[in-house]
Amino acid sequence: MNKYALIIEEFACWGCKTCEVACKQEFNPIDAENGIKYLSVWGDGPKLMNGKLDFIWRVNVCKHCDNPPCAQVCPVEAIMKREDGIVVLDSVKCTGCQLCIDECPYHAISFDDEKKIAAKCNLCHHRVDKGLYPACADNICLAHCIYFGDPSEIEQKILEKRKLRGGWGEIIPKVLVNSRG
Amino acid sequence: MGEFRYSNIEREMEVYGYDSFVKSHCRMCHGGCGVIVYVKDGKVAKIAGDPDCPIAHGTLCTKGLASAQLAYHPDRLSYPIKRLGPKASDQWERISWDEALDTIAERILTYKEKYGPESVVFGYGTGRENEAVIYRIANILGSPNVLTAGHFCYGPRISTSIITCGTNPIADYENFPKCIMMWGNNVTISNPDEYKGEPFSVALDKGAKLIVVDPRLTRPAARANVWLQLRPGTDAALALGMLNVIVKEELYDKEFVEKYTHGWEPFVKRVNEYPLDRVEEITWVPKEKIREAARLFATTKPAAIQWGVAIEQQINCADNDRLLMFLMGITGNIDAPGGQVLKRTPNVVNVGQFGAHGMLTKDQFAKRLGGERFRLASRFAIIQPKCVWDAILEEKPYPVKMLFFISSNPVLTRANAKEVYRALERVEFMAVADFFITPTAELADIVLPAATWLEMDYVGDFWKRHGYILPRRKVIQVGECRSDHEMLNDLAHRIGQGQYWWDNFEKALDHILHPMNITWKDFNKMNYIRGEVKYYKYKESGFSTPTRKFELYSTILEKMDYDPLPQYRESPESPVSAPELYKEYPYILITGARQPGFFHTENRQIGRLRELHRDPIVEIHPDAAAKEGIKENDWVIIETCRGRVRQRAKLTLGCDPRIVAAEHAWWFPEKKDPGHGWYESNINILIDNALEGCDPAMGASNIRTLLCRIYPEKKEGGSHE
Repeated sequence: MNKYALIIEEFACWGCKTCEVACKQEFNPIDAENGIKYLSVWGDGPKLMNGKLDFIWRVNVCKHCDNPPCAQVCPVEAIMKREDGIVVLDSVKCTGCQLCIDECPYHAISFDDEKKIAAKCNLCHHRVDKGLYPACADNICLAHCIYFGDPSEIEQKILEKRKLRGGWGEIIPKVLVNSRG
Repeated sequence: MGEFRYSNIEREMEVYGYDSFVKSHCRMCHGGCGVIVYVKDGKVAKIAGDPDCPIAHGTLCTKGLASAQLAYHPDRLSYPIKRLGPKASDQWERISWDEALDTIAERILTYKEKYGPESVVFGYGTGRENEAVIYRIANILGSPNVLTAGHFCYGPRISTSIITCGTNPIADYENFPKCIMMWGNNVTISNPDEYKGEPFSVALDKGAKLIVVDPRLTRPAARANVWLQLRPGTDAALALGMLNVIVKEELYDKEFVEKYTHGWEPFVKRVNEYPLDRVEEITWVPKEKIREAARLFATTKPAAIQWGVAIEQQINCADNDRLLMFLMGITGNIDAPGGQVLKRTPNVVNVGQFGAHGMLTKDQFAKRLGGERFRLASRFAIIQPKCVWDAILEEKPYPVKMLFFISSNPVLTRANAKEVYRALERVEFMAVADFFITPTAELADIVLPAATWLEMDYVGDFWKRHGYILPRRKVIQVGECRSDHEMLNDLAHRIGQGQYWWDNFEKALDHILHPMNITWKDFNKMNYIRGEVKYYKYKESGFSTPTRKFELYSTILEKMDYDPLPQYRESPESPVSAPELYKEYPYILITGARQPGFFHTENRQIGRLRELHRDPIVEIHPDAAAKEGIKENDWVIIETCRGRVRQRAKLTLGCDPRIVAAEHAWWFPEKKDPGHGWYESNINILIDNALEGCDPAMGASNIRTLLCRIYPEKKEGGSHE
């Protein structure tokens, strides 16, 4: 069984927000309203860190936790962690009780006001199951900082990049959006 | 993981049931990025990046991905209209293309007859690959007046680079610079001509050192090895200071300087006038930091400068560009792999030839508006907008009777917006071609529906100087929309220019490509064509300048009666130049930081893009905000001695407490009255356009450095939350 993870190296993110729009394109027809935001890019700072002004972009999206608290709290088992690591929220089973929204420590689950159900990133499992990259990870990112695949291979790639950068990125917490199967 | 492949076309087609796909070339900014457009039931269903594209390598931006939302927008103009009521009354009637073009043609010929062809001014906004056709029709008509953004955007880089080293030196990311100096620019968010963020980002990931010159803390500034947080508008002094270090410490490339530069001695003399003590005082940047940056840039090889428009929208426009080129030049990075390469474009009919500049007679050239004042600009067919407004409002030096704006919204984008508005209200006849009825189009007599990039065939990027051309392929037809090229080709026939144009625009594309002995149909089968790749060409043939040298001392500027050496001029409105005004307007206002999703005035009606950035934002330091009683997200008034607008406050440490940073180009398409809120948040209402404050060579308006006050909007003032 393959293990999948979506890892975003936030150190490299430029805040262009292309991933947000790629996600929107995947889930909403062209003439539709904006729809639910599964993924959002936000600016952290500027703030003083070790006497230096720092500013970094963060990307918030479901982290597909090892032991997802959202799944544990769901009364109708609408949230399941698959063997490949992807945590899927089943929109058909969801009753809209919103317990998962309160439970998620990352604020990565939204409430769809129109459909009256919870909604989150399902890691484009409909694409992944057909051998396609998730919409946000399909090479659209100009920083090449959105990785999808085997988590240990990805971490290796990021480490190699850091070495080339001459250690850049080490002052930033290592893996910022991480999921493990 | 072997089964996963980026932009897997076959599988996308299969999984989503698309009918077809077209590889094309986006133009949501200036152009550049290769895309795959998937089609279902005759409509665009999805846009993805094309990994085969040599420019962005399959990566995209928000705007490219949202292109279909633009193409199919319900408010989009899809047929020609003519105005029935008074200007800005929003009363329109649908008309045919024939009626629209015949009316425009009749007006052009009438004004030409009565007032001379110079009374007809064509215009475009930022570069949208329509420059060549617009210049062509104007030049053949005999009008020397094409109003563009060229006085303060890219035109200065072209003009100053041609007189300094023959062409625009392009940062050579494909050979991985070891040091990048990003100057007044953030290529990861913005759309500087020639460049995309991806190759810059990849070069950094390969280990390039980064120097950032910016008054604001951008993410690149936060990531930089050295961030030079200069006082706005002092770039020229900073560059002269860095050159001073490089000269004094002999960090320059001696062979290059001795063999290939003109004017070294006077140049050194000028640079010596800018010792670091003086430069620190002017720029607010500590001299140790200036020295550190100068050393890092001069001693790391190869090194490149990522530049853009900010340095051009100042009184020091032309000299800023030249000074950055001098930094590239004397460090030996010009035409060096990984440095700043003078790229060769493929062998096509270039924009200058296609633009038919040679057909403008000397007599008509001499009538170019402002040509005697802004002599460098005039030589490169660029005019200053205020000269046009004056010619409309005062009829001096002669009357301008007609405007034809193609992809331009000057009510929002040109300095002193109230004067622009008055001029557009006054002008006798105005035609506009655009996607929507913009605040500018609301003042037009006829509005033509323009095609998006999805609706045209074109030789993409052939005006750029990065060395590639790429096919843009028509995917869809929306309503009666036509590309700018097609509509002008048609109009040209109606004003008697038929012999210089084509039966259809595909033949014009054949004409552009004919030096390579290929047609559009041949090119259509290719991914791209690249010009010859060659470095250090100057060692064989010198530079394409009068002295055949890299001109530190410009013989052309000298002949034009300008200072042949660059200098620092204080902004006309600064704490130093206007201390009395500064007491009343105690903040330095900078404008125009770019946001994802927008391209100047564009895309504020595109749901997926507006969602990213709903309101106009002004950045202010928390200490300054506290002093003025401003809280996060408050609507505030920004006021200069010329007017006031409202934007929303964002408190940030990334701005010096003496500075506030406002956004540009805001209007509100969701407001259905004909003004669409053009006067509410439009920063150009605050900006002066007096010719005395412009760059003396290019006529660049000084829109980036002003003095303002800022305070909370009073509750009764209304709010559109």
